[in-house]
Amino acid sequence: MGRGVSAEEPPKGAEPPSGGAVPGGDAPGAPGRGESWERRLDTPPDVWAVFLQARKRDPHIHVGDVHAPDAEMALIVAKENYTRRDPCVNLWVVRAGEIHSTTEDAAEMFAPATDKSYRFGGSYRKQQQIYHSGWRLSHRDEDQ
Amino acid sequence: MSGTPPAATDPRVGAAFREWLLRTADDELIIGHRHSEWTGFGPDIESDVALSSIAQEEIGHARAFYTQLAAGVDDADRLAFARAPAEYRHATLVERENDGWEWSIVRLVLYERYEAERLRLLSASAQEPVAGLARTLLREERYHALFADAWLTRLARGREEGHRRVQAALEAAWPEALGFFEATDADATLAAAGIVDSPAAQRRRWEAAVRQVLEPCGLVIPSASPKEGGRRGQHTPEFDRLHDQMTEVYRSDPEARW
Repeated sequence: MGRGVSAEEPPKGAEPPSGGAVPGGDAPGAPGRGESWERRLDTPPDVWAVFLQARKRDPHIHVGDVHAPDAEMALIVAKENYTRRDPCVNLWVVRAGEIHSTTEDAAEMFAPATDKSYRFGGSYRKQQQIYHSGWRLSHRDEDQ
Repeated sequence: MSGTPPAATDPRVGAAFREWLLRTADDELIIGHRHSEWTGFGPDIESDVALSSIAQEEIGHARAFYTQLAAGVDDADRLAFARAPAEYRHATLVERENDGWEWSIVRLVLYERYEAERLRLLSASAQEPVAGLARTLLREERYHALFADAWLTRLARGREEGHRRVQAALEAAWPEALGFFEATDADATLAAAGIVDSPAAQRRRWEAAVRQVLEPCGLVIPSASPKEGGRRGQHTPEFDRLHDQMTEVYRSDPEARW
């Protein structure tokens, strides 16, 4: 089953950041700190992160992990471990050890130092809510 | 929900079809019960949950078939739990105690291919509402076969020990798997009425299907002859023990409403 093509694109915020690809490994040098701010997750090779898409066009959400020797087996066991109760139309698995993460120490990087409320765009947000709900409703039938 | 058991203006054909449905329900109930015994003992938590889920689904299928059989004339719980062991019509393979994980996986592979074949026959049988039910159940069987094949492949194509143990389990299971196709008068009646194919034709398709899974794993199909009896109510002491345990709660208060 192909994914339907929407005439309208999801809102800007839903797109992945561009141009930020980090070379593999532990890149040294946090901005201005001289210490590592990113690393790969330190997990055994048989741990797979499971991402579940509840309905078409929803983002895949990380719902947990499974142990499995390979991707096919990971998908097979993920199906029964994560979709028994909740709706699902699609699953992703990825080796958890392939996921790059910012370190916990880097959390302050995300906290604004000055008032950034001008970015919140409250009126836009309202519009986005309307846009989202209309977008969802307009696709509800084919999502069944 | 129609209370009338499927089809057949001819009462002999009707009775044969009921016999065939009862086998189906019994196979599902008993293999579901055996799978459920792995709950808490699977090789890892992931497959433990997955096989437990398959067990629930098989018992759910049994319930659906018992409900069809019971409609208007009996009670599904009574059919499932109040019969004597010799009144059950499942093939003896499904009643066998679990041995190693590889045994249960081999049995699952053999059973799921048979189950898919049977549900396809049923869905094409034009015997509503059972045919519609079979079409719905096929959806779940697809996953059961995926799970079974994935495990079989990894056990049999891994190390030498795994391969040897899977081959041994296959040899132990094969004669009783052929017992799926034990032919009784009911089969002859149904085949003559054009409702379901003969057991021999079913077996040919089933063997072709299981070969496709087993042979790429380097497994050798045994040449043993069938061990039958289950379809006529002849079971092993392993079933007596299962029956005793499975019906314990029901027997404690047969009139209870759940």
